[in-house]
Amino acid sequence: MTKIILNGREIEADPTKPLIAACEGNGAAVPHYCYHAGLTPVGSCRICQVEVKEGERPGRVVVACRTPVSEGMVVNTESPAAHETRRECLEFLLKDHPLDCPICDKAGECTLQDVTYNEGQSEGLTKEPRDNFEKRKSLGDKIVLDQERCILCSRCVRFFDEITGKSQLAIVGLGSRSRIETFADRPLVGNYQGNITDICPVGALTLKSFRFKARVWNMTKKSSTCGECSRGCSVSVEVLRKGEVKRIRPRFNEDINKWWMCDTGRFALDGANPTNRVPALVRGYSGLEAADSDDAVAMARAAHAAVDKHVLIASPWVTVEEGEGLKALASSLNTEALFLSPAANDLKDDLLHTGDPCPNRRGLEELGFVGKSAEEAMELLAQAESATLFGERIAELIGLDNLKSLPSTVRTFVFDGSSGAGLLEAPALQAVVGIANWVERPGTWVNIDGERGKISAARTAPSGIRQPSSVIADLLHTSEVAR
Amino acid sequence: MVIIKRKQLTWMEKAYLPEVIRGLRITLGKMFQKPSTRQYPEDPLITTEVTRGQPRLVVNEDSTIRCVSCGLCEIACPAYAITIDGQETDRMIEREPEKFEIDFLRCILCGFCEEACPKEAIMMSDELELADTSRQGLIYGLDKLKRPVSALKKRIAYINKINDRWRTSSST
Repeated sequence: MTKIILNGREIEADPTKPLIAACEGNGAAVPHYCYHAGLTPVGSCRICQVEVKEGERPGRVVVACRTPVSEGMVVNTESPAAHETRRECLEFLLKDHPLDCPICDKAGECTLQDVTYNEGQSEGLTKEPRDNFEKRKSLGDKIVLDQERCILCSRCVRFFDEITGKSQLAIVGLGSRSRIETFADRPLVGNYQGNITDICPVGALTLKSFRFKARVWNMTKKSSTCGECSRGCSVSVEVLRKGEVKRIRPRFNEDINKWWMCDTGRFALDGANPTNRVPALVRGYSGLEAADSDDAVAMARAAHAAVDKHVLIASPWVTVEEGEGLKALASSLNTEALFLSPAANDLKDDLLHTGDPCPNRRGLEELGFVGKSAEEAMELLAQAESATLFGERIAELIGLDNLKSLPSTVRTFVFDGSSGAGLLEAPALQAVVGIANWVERPGTWVNIDGERGKISAARTAPSGIRQPSSVIADLLHTSEVAR
Repeated sequence: MVIIKRKQLTWMEKAYLPEVIRGLRITLGKMFQKPSTRQYPEDPLITTEVTRGQPRLVVNEDSTIRCVSCGLCEIACPAYAITIDGQETDRMIEREPEKFEIDFLRCILCGFCEEACPKEAIMMSDELELADTSRQGLIYGLDKLKRPVSALKKRIAYINKINDRWRTSSST
């Protein structure tokens, strides 16, 4: 550790990291666009100017992201000289930057906007017209580039060079005609494209799926964990006006995903916003009918008490807390606790995605659940007298056709977050109970490396949809009473 | 205990009838004066460009809406009356509202939306009348809010005049 004096206070700085990291870590934030803690510093935006004094020499203004920390250096991040230099740099950055903040999706979380306000730079000195570039350049099927808004920080270029290891973007052209382009105008490929929209400090790179859909200040953000694979990346789930999940973004986690996440998890919005949900469906005289979920749970309790051969299969999306309850339910029903473990998909890569679509595989296995494939599960179900299928996406993972083929002697109860109308034709179904999905309930998942990831309720479940924990408590309570 | 002393009436007042005649004389006199009230529905309100009526969205001459759905009026609104959802357009101005709702049950006609708007797209019109038989009918969507720029010309000129007092020079 190296001792430096930062704004009159002696601090210890990591000599392997640039000066800006020491400033950030010690409450003296310096504005920066091109610097990103996960990427090599290049010093192209020049906004992170600080005044540094070493030894007897007079202080000089340097960029903090390209200055190594050295013993005894005296750093002033707020000196008038540093601010004046920053303001001048800002003027160059804004020279061709269009003033379309009201239209730009980044407005509200744009650091260029924030710094411009802070430095009080309301008018430029130049009178020349702004350069015109392509405003809607499509980079593949996920991302749009606005070359006018781009400040050429090259974070996106470095992301592909350094993180994915497959260079796809470059700064082409010279001087004021420089712009970001893909090689030979090819579309971007890969499962990590979305990250460049997160690290873009301005609104130059935007997601096609999110473009102009919502203002960032209207969304409530909640820390959660991604459920698309067993890596369990830390994410922030962003919900527009307490309704629809509009965006899922990575959240920094040193141990798991750093700053990144894959596009499979990022665009898993359909799973987070299920349509066609029902509080409960119950077998009546004319097939499955809408009912109160308490009645449906009561039916399941009655079935648990009436017959002897039970099968309980949990979804891999069940949390550790719910898993404990289901484990107790299984033992009270004298059956083995099982969870559905679908086959690995082909999305596995070296960076984050594990290819295993079970977010809580390890947590459930630690609890003593046994993984079964859909075929094995169907064999067990065909022999049972009552079947309890519990958890988000369980019907989809077993297969709707499989469920429809079950004989009507198997009294089947499905507790699922998303399904509903799709199950109407299954003759074995006694009741379907809608439960809260992963953006509507709190809990814990354990990822493949044993890291515990918290999921949390980013919005409240629709009226009538119950929390899985309360449904389990209800099931458990009477199964014990009945025996 | 408080003892209230009643006013002693004079002989003339006690006689009653002279006082009635005096009152009728005032009534009769008012009949020939100019009335200070207005017959409202037949005789409409006098509005000027200063009138702060219900907010309306300005539609340009080429029938494009000025609003870019930036959401500034939405957060400026103290009554949370405005809800906006944006969508992409093919025009040079890339964004326009897909849904723009003002809940006139909530709107307090304060004019903050007009003040917040960076595009002169929402303007306080001179329309003041507001009645409906249902609550849903008073939540105005885009179809009910759009007004051609010609209808709001006077208000836009007035707002520009006021804003010029604060602007030292134009920055865009």
